[in-house]
Amino acid sequence: MLGVLVKRVVNRVYQVVLRPTLACPVSTRGYKGEASDDSRGDLIEIPLPPWTEKDGETMDMKRRRLLFQSRKRGMLENCILLSLFAKKYLNTMSETQLRQYDRLINEPSNDWDIYYWATEAQPVPNVYAGEIMDLLKEFTKNKDQEQRLDAPNLEYLDKGSQ
Amino acid sequence: MPKNSYLPWYFLPGTTHYYENVLLLNKHSDRQISQYPVVDHHFDAVVVGAGGAGLRAAFGLSEAGFNTACVTKLFPTRSHTVAAQGGINAALGNMEADDWRWHFYDTVKGSDWLGDQDAIHYMTEQAPASVVELENFGMPFSRTEDGKIYQRAFGGQSLKFGKGGQAHRCCCVADRTGHSLLHTLYGRSLRFDTSYFVEYFALDLLMEDGECKGVIAFCMEDGSIHRFRSKNTVIATGGYGRTYFSCTSAHTSTGDGNAMVTRAGLPCQDLEFVQFHPTGIYGAGCLITEGCRGEGGILINSEGERFMERYAPNAKDLASRDVVSRSMTIEIREGRGCGPEKDHVYLQLHHLPPQQLAVRLPGISETAMIFAGVEVTKEPIPVLPTVHYNMGGVPTNYKGQVITHVGGEDKVVPGLYACGEAACASVHGANRLGANSLLDLVVFGRACALTIAETGTPGEKLSPLKPNAGEESVANLDKIRFAEGTIRTSEIRLNMQKTMQNHAAVFRTGDLLKEGCDKMDAIYQSMEDIKTFDRGIVWNTDLVESLELQNLMLNAVQTIHSAEARKESRGAHAREDYQDRMDELDYAKPLAGQEKKSFDQHWRKHTLSTVDIKTGKVTLGYRPVIDRSLDQEECSAIPPAIRSY
Repeated sequence: MLGVLVKRVVNRVYQVVLRPTLACPVSTRGYKGEASDDSRGDLIEIPLPPWTEKDGETMDMKRRRLLFQSRKRGMLENCILLSLFAKKYLNTMSETQLRQYDRLINEPSNDWDIYYWATEAQPVPNVYAGEIMDLLKEFTKNKDQEQRLDAPNLEYLDKGSQ
Repeated sequence: MPKNSYLPWYFLPGTTHYYENVLLLNKHSDRQISQYPVVDHHFDAVVVGAGGAGLRAAFGLSEAGFNTACVTKLFPTRSHTVAAQGGINAALGNMEADDWRWHFYDTVKGSDWLGDQDAIHYMTEQAPASVVELENFGMPFSRTEDGKIYQRAFGGQSLKFGKGGQAHRCCCVADRTGHSLLHTLYGRSLRFDTSYFVEYFALDLLMEDGECKGVIAFCMEDGSIHRFRSKNTVIATGGYGRTYFSCTSAHTSTGDGNAMVTRAGLPCQDLEFVQFHPTGIYGAGCLITEGCRGEGGILINSEGERFMERYAPNAKDLASRDVVSRSMTIEIREGRGCGPEKDHVYLQLHHLPPQQLAVRLPGISETAMIFAGVEVTKEPIPVLPTVHYNMGGVPTNYKGQVITHVGGEDKVVPGLYACGEAACASVHGANRLGANSLLDLVVFGRACALTIAETGTPGEKLSPLKPNAGEESVANLDKIRFAEGTIRTSEIRLNMQKTMQNHAAVFRTGDLLKEGCDKMDAIYQSMEDIKTFDRGIVWNTDLVESLELQNLMLNAVQTIHSAEARKESRGAHAREDYQDRMDELDYAKPLAGQEKKSFDQHWRKHTLSTVDIKTGKVTLGYRPVIDRSLDQEECSAIPPAIRSY
């Protein structure tokens, strides 16, 4: 009995310590069945190998890779949002911005998180906050009310057609 | 090898040649040579695709000691499984007394009696054990106050063989069941040394003498070609929603596995059965989960009427998806649609307490705002039936082995397996029930791993493979990379998508389908005139999207031709000119005294389609539905009946 209690306390401390630092209080988002929140047990106990930046890539190669990785996402919402964002900004990003963007779209394991941060439904963890995140949030607001029915075709990149 | 240097005298134009592990393609027009370094790998098992099914298969194989490779064009946690927010059905009986045989009945009925009952028996019986197994792997399912796994209602699930009211069988991990499944399986598989080849695009199967000996793929990062040689290949590449203009799928759902199987000369099964999810956002097509209706959301027409009460008096908005989609389409065609064009209906959620919306249906608010401009606590969301899932795919038996149908008998294709949405076991038949898909992934992913473990041993010596195996795939890649036709990839793709959308949508009629078949055949031919613009080999998105278009095209022609040929309405395939099901007996009337129709005269059979790659001609064949369960004593098969909710 005491062992169980101790285990519970230790787990709880573990959860709090390992939770990524947030800029604002933790949101209560998450499906609540009848009682408990999303315990994130899988994320805590089964850590995936950490994301690392790719070495030795030219800026041009980075842009080409990030283009593919912006267009091919886990769900339609991100496919549309990120490919439109890439169309607008990817080719004019500086090196620092490219690296920020690389981290933003490749490190988080749940694509929905990127969507929730972009739509400001959830607070952005400190590690992703920055210029690119701000650009993305602003872009998502769609102040110009442009139609966002689908991802754009690639031909905007075809220099031959311009 | 330097350009135009000393070439062997037998190296003639238009030939391919392996030179020190480098594949050289000599073009017809000039003496330019494309070089593709080829790397050969040997594994005990290769899995193509790293979604829920692929990861479960890879994990199971690695755990059983097989040296396993997983080839995927996306990082595992970015597979389309991550979009799944619904849950996994299992008759655990935590919310009320439950029995897997009732789940079996619901699934057989949901499939409109096109599902193979042995595979359905296998899936529903294994369901509780599979969920418990996932829990043991570390998936944090949502819990009730007593600490049991929480289960919620989902469409088409009932108690006591349809007579006991709504069943609560869907287990979930908050709103991220798909992500949790991927994360857990990927993490665990790494502990068993699974080798992941991420951002490798699988081109084709390596077939020799009717046996599958591996897969050939190309690495997007450096343009090298890789041949993964193995005695066991598992296809888990997902569906092909992207053949349609409006679908809920990500842009990665391009039917790569189905196309690989078609190019290998093997049949695909039941491709005409495309599920239209009732609630995709009008316009963008983003999915509004069925969970909304599970939580109390209702569908209303322009008169503000909850019209599902008329079409499905018992289940109402939680009737099976094909029934709801058809009802919505009828409402629109009869003039009770909403909006300026009267071409969609509304999903009303604002009668639910805002707290419940925020807590139980997060993500809906954002999606509705960004893609429909709607505030869900005040206004209803415009929705339309949208392409969502492909019941058809690569035909397999209940063990996950790919089959062909020769001389009236099912025959296993040695070395080839399939699971997940890419496969057609067939557990979903003519229509899939919500939350059965994630179950399908884990049960059949595991089944493939078990069958491979049963029939083979780790470290088995591989049979020899022809040294130039796979060169046609590389030649095709090269052709697409340097394509100089007149029609752009995006144009051909749009033509295909619009044709499928207009001619093979929710309601289909003979004339429209026939017109669609002719148009699709012409669009298939137009692929010869394709124009790509990116000539590079590293991270060439244009090339990948063009290869994906080739794959989509094969899926599209088979889908529309199969739909045109099937002259009945069953499950998700609804025809205005043939509104009834055509079974071997008329189940709407008393069976006594009726004569059974012969196999050629009724439609309760699986479609098997193949394509002549050069001409695009689709050939159709048929195969009987399996009506026996795995064990008649344990679970008697359900004889066909009229389907009402």
